[in-house]
Amino acid sequence: MDSLIAASARALAAGDALGALKRVALRDDPPALALRGIAMAQLGEHGRARELLRRAARGFGTHEERARARCVVAEAEVALAMRDLGGSPRTLAAAAATLEAHADPANALQARLIAARRLLLLGRLADAASALEQVDARGLPPALAAVAGLARAELAMRSLRIVDAQAALQQAQSAATQAGVPALLAEVEEAQAVLLRPAASRLAGGKVHLLRLEEVAALQASGALVIDGCRHGVRAGAAWKPLARRPVLFALARVLAESWPGDADRNVLIADAFRTKRPDETHRARLRVEIGRLRTLLADLADIEATARGFVLRPHEAREVVVVAPPIAGEQASLLALLADGAAWSTSGLALALGTSQRTVQRALAELEEAGRVRSLGQARARRWLAAPLAGFATNLLLPAALPAG
Amino acid sequence: MKVATESRLAPAHAAEIVREYGPFPGAAKIAGVTHDGHNVWAATPEALLAIDPASGETRRRIAQACDAGTAFDGKYLYQIAEARISKIDAATGAVVATIPAPGQGKDSGLAWAEGSLWVGQYRDRKIHQIDPETGKILRTIETNRFVTGVTWVDGELWHGTWEGDESEIRRIDPQDGTVLERLQMPPGTGVSGLESDGAGLFYAGGGESGKLRAIRRPTSRSKS
Repeated sequence: MDSLIAASARALAAGDALGALKRVALRDDPPALALRGIAMAQLGEHGRARELLRRAARGFGTHEERARARCVVAEAEVALAMRDLGGSPRTLAAAAATLEAHADPANALQARLIAARRLLLLGRLADAASALEQVDARGLPPALAAVAGLARAELAMRSLRIVDAQAALQQAQSAATQAGVPALLAEVEEAQAVLLRPAASRLAGGKVHLLRLEEVAALQASGALVIDGCRHGVRAGAAWKPLARRPVLFALARVLAESWPGDADRNVLIADAFRTKRPDETHRARLRVEIGRLRTLLADLADIEATARGFVLRPHEAREVVVVAPPIAGEQASLLALLADGAAWSTSGLALALGTSQRTVQRALAELEEAGRVRSLGQARARRWLAAPLAGFATNLLLPAALPAG
Repeated sequence: MKVATESRLAPAHAAEIVREYGPFPGAAKIAGVTHDGHNVWAATPEALLAIDPASGETRRRIAQACDAGTAFDGKYLYQIAEARISKIDAATGAVVATIPAPGQGKDSGLAWAEGSLWVGQYRDRKIHQIDPETGKILRTIETNRFVTGVTWVDGELWHGTWEGDESEIRRIDPQDGTVLERLQMPPGTGVSGLESDGAGLFYAGGGESGKLRAIRRPTSRSKS
C-alpha cells in the first residue's frame, strides 16, 4: 500500500477515524475509498459508508480479489448495523470463500459471523444455529469471539437453553475482556441482566410468582405439564404442543389447568373459549367438539375426562399442572412473550394467538416499535414482526481491515 | 500492449528465499527496507529497526512514523511518512530535513543511487527519480505493475510488485521500463520494501505478515 493509505490505516487502528479520513479525504482510488468507508462507518455515517465501500469493491482489479472481498464483508456489517437485511447472502458467502482461499481466516470467519447474525435478526433460528456451528471461535480474534458468544447466547436464550446461554455469555465475557472493547463488555452485561429479569409469572392457588428465564426453563425440565401462556402451547419435558394457531384449544387448556386438580365448569369453559356469557345448546355441542380435539392433541400427555359439571384434566405419570403467563398483564406483554421465541411473526398470526383483532395487535406493535422493543421486516402483507435482540449485538462495527495487502 | 508482451517474455524464475526474520515485537507490518552495510533497516509503523542479519536481533530502534519506503545514502536514512520524505541522521535519529514526496502520498518504495532518490508510486505504476534536496522530479519511469519497493544494485534497477496474491521482484530497464528479469515470490508472499545488501542478497519486507525476507539475487553468472 502507499504511504498515505498506510498513515490513514495507522490512524484508524488507533481509533482516530477523523484523522484517517483527513489523510485520504480527497482520494478516489479503491484503497482510499475503502478506508473512507470504514472511517465513515465508525463515525456512524452508515449510508455514506456503504456507498464508499461499494465503490471501493467495484474499483479493485481482478488481481485484488481479497481486497474486494474485505470490502464486501465491511459493507455487509454496515448493512447489519443499519438493520437493512435485504442484501443477498450469496455475495457474503462468496466473499467468505474468497477470503478463506486467500489465507485470511479471521476475515472469512467475520463474514460467516455476519451471515449468522443476519439470520438471527431475520428470525430464522434454525438456519442461524447451523451457520453458528460453522464458526470456530478458537480461530477468532477476541473481539469477534465475543460477538460469536453473544450470538450463541441469544440463540440459546430464545430456545430457553439457559445453561448453554450462560456458558456462551461467559465465553463472550472473557473474550470481550481480552479484546478490551468496552462496548462489547456492556453488551455482555446487558445480556446477563436479561437472564435475571422476570420472564414469566406462575399462577398457583390464586397467587402470582415471578419467574426468571432460568426458572421457566427449570419448570419445563421438571416434567410438569406446563400450560405456557407466554408462547401459547403445552409442554411436558421434551414434548411441545404449539397452540398459537389454535386459540380456542389453548383457552380451554388454560381454564382446565387453572381449575386443576378440580374440574372446570362447562359454562366457564364456554365463556372463556368462545367469549360469550350466554351459552346455549349450540355452544355446548361446540365445546364437546373442541374438547375432543384437545383430548386428541394432548393424548400422550394427559387425559380429559367429563364430570357432572364439566371437564377435568388428568395428566399422565402424576404430573403436576402449572400455568405460566407473561410477567405482566396486558396486550403488549402478551405480544412480547410470543415474540420472545425469536421467530418472525405476522400480524395475523399474533392476532390469532392472542384471540384479539388485528387492529388491536397493530396498535400495540406500533407502540412497542416506537419504544424499540420490536422490529418489523418487509412491507404490507409480507410484513413480519420480531422482538428486539436480547443481546443488543450488531451495533458494534468490527470492520475487517478492508485494505489491499501491502 | 508492447509492455505486456515484454513482461511475458522476460525470463522468470522462482525467488529463492534464503532466510526469514520476524515478525518483530510491536511491529504489525513492514513498510520499507534498507541496508547500511552492516544492518538491515526495517520500517515498521512506529519505528525504524536496525536488524543484525546474522543473528536476526534488533540492534537499534529509531522512533519514527513509517508508512512506506526507506533508503540510506551512507549517512542519512530517508523515510516516507504520509506525503513527505524525512531525512534522518542515522547516528542520532534526528530528522534533519523534510521534502514533499513526489506522489503526494501515493508513494511506496524508496531507494538511493547516484545522488538521487528513486521513489515508487504504488498504484500508478511509476518510479520517479527526484532531487534529494528539493524533491523535484527529474525523470519518471513507467512500469506495468504496482510498485512496492525500489533498489539499485550494480547499475541494475529492481523493483518489487504486489498485486493481490501475486508478487515478484523485477529488474527493469531504467530507460524505458522494459521488464528484463522476474523473480516470482511464492503465492501469498508479498514484497513491501526492497533493498540489496550490495552482495548476493535482496532484503524484502513482507507487508502485513511483519516478516523480513532475505532472497538470493541472481548473479551475472547464473543469468547465462
